[in-house]
Amino acid sequence: MSPSYLGRKVLQAIATLVFVVILNFMLFRLMPGSPERILLRNPHLDAQSIAAARARFGLDKPLLPLEISVDPPSLKVNPDSQFLAYLQTTASGDLGLSFEFRGESVTEVIGVRFWPTIILIGLAELIAIVVGLTLGSAAGWKRGGTLDRVGNGISLILYSMPYFVIGMPLIIIFAAGLGWFPTSGMLSPGAQYQSPIDQLLDFARHLVLPLATVSLGLIGGYSILMRSSIIETRGEDYVTTARAKGLKDRSILRDHAFPNALLPTVTVIAINLGYVVAGAITAEIVFNWPGLGTLTVDALAARDYPVLQGIFLLISVAVILANLGADLIYGRLDPRVRA
Amino acid sequence: MSAATAPVDLRGERWRLRVRNARDFGRRYARRTDGVVGLAILLVFVVLAALPNVFVGALETATTASGTALEPPSLTHLLGTDGLGRDMLNQTVHGARISLTIGLLATLITILLGAVIGIVSGFRGGRIDNVLMRLTDFFLILPTFVLAVLLAPIILDIVGDDAEIAGIKAKLIVIVVVIGLTSWASTARIIRAQTLSVKERMFVDRARVIGSGPGHIMRRHILPNVTNLIVANTVLTFAAAIFTETTLAFIGLGDPFAPSWGQLLNAAQAIGAPSLGAWWYIVPPATCVVLVILAFTLVGNALDDIMNPKTAGRR
Amino acid sequence: MMRMPTGPGETGKVMEDAEQEAARRAAEAGQEAVVEAPVDSEAIEAAAAARALIRGRRQWPLPKQADPTAPLLTVENLRTHFKLESGWVKAVDGVSFRLDDGEALGLAGESGCGKTTTALSLVRLLPSNARIRKGSSIDLFGIDLVPKTEDQLRRYRWREISIVFQGAMNALNPVRRIGEQIAEPIEVRLGLTQDVARKRAAELLELVGIPRQRAAAYPHELSGGMRQRTMIAMALACDPAIVIGDEPTTALDVMVQAQILELLERLRRDLGLSLILITHDLSVIAETCDKTLIMYAGKVAEEGPVSRIFTAPRHPYTQKLLGAFPNIHADRRSLETIPGSPPDLRNPPAGCRFNPRCPAAMDICREVEPPEVVYPDGVRVACHLHVAGRDGAVGVTSADVVGWHRQLPVIEAPGVPAVASAGVAEPPGPGSQP
Repeated sequence: MSPSYLGRKVLQAIATLVFVVILNFMLFRLMPGSPERILLRNPHLDAQSIAAARARFGLDKPLLPLEISVDPPSLKVNPDSQFLAYLQTTASGDLGLSFEFRGESVTEVIGVRFWPTIILIGLAELIAIVVGLTLGSAAGWKRGGTLDRVGNGISLILYSMPYFVIGMPLIIIFAAGLGWFPTSGMLSPGAQYQSPIDQLLDFARHLVLPLATVSLGLIGGYSILMRSSIIETRGEDYVTTARAKGLKDRSILRDHAFPNALLPTVTVIAINLGYVVAGAITAEIVFNWPGLGTLTVDALAARDYPVLQGIFLLISVAVILANLGADLIYGRLDPRVRA
Repeated sequence: MSAATAPVDLRGERWRLRVRNARDFGRRYARRTDGVVGLAILLVFVVLAALPNVFVGALETATTASGTALEPPSLTHLLGTDGLGRDMLNQTVHGARISLTIGLLATLITILLGAVIGIVSGFRGGRIDNVLMRLTDFFLILPTFVLAVLLAPIILDIVGDDAEIAGIKAKLIVIVVVIGLTSWASTARIIRAQTLSVKERMFVDRARVIGSGPGHIMRRHILPNVTNLIVANTVLTFAAAIFTETTLAFIGLGDPFAPSWGQLLNAAQAIGAPSLGAWWYIVPPATCVVLVILAFTLVGNALDDIMNPKTAGRR
Repeated sequence: MMRMPTGPGETGKVMEDAEQEAARRAAEAGQEAVVEAPVDSEAIEAAAAARALIRGRRQWPLPKQADPTAPLLTVENLRTHFKLESGWVKAVDGVSFRLDDGEALGLAGESGCGKTTTALSLVRLLPSNARIRKGSSIDLFGIDLVPKTEDQLRRYRWREISIVFQGAMNALNPVRRIGEQIAEPIEVRLGLTQDVARKRAAELLELVGIPRQRAAAYPHELSGGMRQRTMIAMALACDPAIVIGDEPTTALDVMVQAQILELLERLRRDLGLSLILITHDLSVIAETCDKTLIMYAGKVAEEGPVSRIFTAPRHPYTQKLLGAFPNIHADRRSLETIPGSPPDLRNPPAGCRFNPRCPAAMDICREVEPPEVVYPDGVRVACHLHVAGRDGAVGVTSADVVGWHRQLPVIEAPGVPAVASAGVAEPPGPGSQP
């Protein structure tokens, strides 16, 4: 990969990140009245903590580090501003205090919810990537065949289903109806475990339905994407060359069509992986999975802006990094970019 | 040549050409089974959405509920009742009207933003193009759904939860605006690309030589040539808008007094309908959501294949 | 380099029946055709020797069902049609020809005349809507490939018939190193180990003039000419009997074109390759081929030794085609164009397919499809201006396909450069490109 390509991509990522940070700052200041009003609305804060928060956010300071005056015309840099204070606290990982969670720090609140989401969505992505790409390429390769018609039909339907539309029927059938799996949560409430293995099994039982939900929801999109990519690749001359070489159909698909068709999908998948952090909000709600998705909704209901902003910042960073990763992976897979 | 001075037969010729194009398009569309199926599904829902009162009577509220809570389907309540005893058929049919209306408005905003930004960016080029495309890139990368979740309550806090704008609940307008603001970027990208290629074509040069202003060229020469693309994109955007609306409503950003399908599912989730096994509370709105999004996707794909110059020739 | 039969010859035993038949027909027509009968036992023997030599040098045995004495390739009445919603396109409609060991055949004609489809039909590299119709036969070493299943046919792809495609940029896989791509068929088709295959790939690269270190390069890192050389090296990977060149030089600039043609010529000489060259550039055929087959609208217009066709074209279409082609010997101003365009092959015109554009069209041309006749000099032509029994022409049926081609090439021992033979006339030079 050429340094210029790499450098350009890194610069782009940094620029986007700066944009996100500024946007986050602005949104917080855009809110009605002043940030104090939001802080005052927080029933869990006493006057002391409010004063502390004010000091921490530097809410008494000017908004921007620039002071512009028209008469007399002057432009002055003020190092003591809200924006710089915001940058400082954010950079040090301090995202402020939650309104709702007994005034805990946002970083802590998010930290607790981080891993359940990563496990759930990470596994689901893994399953969906394998199944979706396999299904999509098989369908596209034999375009118009039975597998294509059935597979693509299913993919389109799955693609039209929000997670909760998939998850709710799964609960009705497999949890409420058949009783095979628990309806919600990550572990049985109040359970005493004999061994860590028991705990793991309990966790696994809780994981099955949410995992199935998120996987199914992702498979449709991946399959459709891969299918159209394979169909495009199928008409390429090098596939004809491979056929002329007398290779078996499967080798042509595996060694020639698939690696090329994968290129455009890699980007989408990598970007999607950034959303692993965002979680599948609605899937988490349906199964009451204690991840970032449910946290988002709880924070939303409570208008817990610091938490919402923290989540937004975290997700943005993840997505930006994923984008950067996508570009880098693409550069590795496609020798034309690497050069 | 202005229409007034054009010979009559020329106008007739143009008209005939248009009719022939339309007929040709109709024939090609009719060959797309998936597109036809999608269109049929949409027609059913449009009829339901247009005249819900004719089919199921006025929207039942908690006070006018016709049954008791969570009745399974029966002859009186074909689709059962919800947690407040309201008839699910009644709720679902009225939900069509609300979901489709919000979807339509959000789509219009998305397309308007996307088309204007795309055309201006592609046509003006230079620094304007640069700035607009950076902005577009940013919105493409940004987790827009999360941004929507963040924006909606902020706006609601500013205008007040129960405010009404022009007689419409602020909550609904906020959902519409938030969807529009966060999903225009890909449309802008597509339209810009098409604008660039149209711009290269001869007649724009000719129009420029004649002395038309950029606004005139964009409206009279660029717009008609990107219309096909806009139409196909609109249909696909509609599917996405309904998807987003349903999701936003499901996580509690909807208006309980204007039950869209997502709102109905939110209510079902809130009383724990899935764990209770009350499938009739979930299946009707869920089916409708899937059918409508699927139908829009099918129609959009068919239109895209037929009208998009990039994919039209591909078989 | 072309070889011409010289003088009259005795009746060769191999071709006895056909010969007698031709003589009988000629005699019936009251012509002294017997004297001109295109028989040359020396040539036949030389060809048999060449065949034995070339086949003896094969690194890999002939296919199991092969008949070692059968001609390399005979195609009879090949009909390849494409199904569209609006009907069947008769892209190739009754084409017959023969290719011998070490021979180079040039397929020429306007685009859409079916030359590529003809060549790709041999190993059935056709789009899914194509059908090779009943009654067609493609005999390779006497094995009919038409009834083979896709899986059986794979045995013949690349190992017997390989292809150099036009535009190697797209024909090479962009994400794989060229060395791997050349080694792939060696490994997969010949069952050699990866190491051996890699080594052979490197040798092949050197054979086509690319340093072996470049095996690690990706296609986009090579120039157009280098990519085409890579394609050629890849085509040679399994030591095939026939290499098809589908417009192998079209996308290249003139200098590189010349180099690639020179390379093909050298390889043919050294390796005893049989070549089918598809091109619309007649100068390429003039330079590289022994025989040429001119196609029009899915049918053979004229076929024969390059030297004859280029100096004395008999079919009005060939005449027009040569006239439309800038010739270094000819006056530029005399450049002709062929009016009209090729017919819609869903509904080709009745009679001769060229009749709507033919300056010499007669009434019969609009009604009766012209039968193929063959002249003593080995030229076969399908045109009502040329009837059996006149000027020594004899009628042919597709069953005679084996008997037409008397002038077989003489192949020198490996490494010995070819000696230019006494052609009837100097072929046109490598036309100056406008």
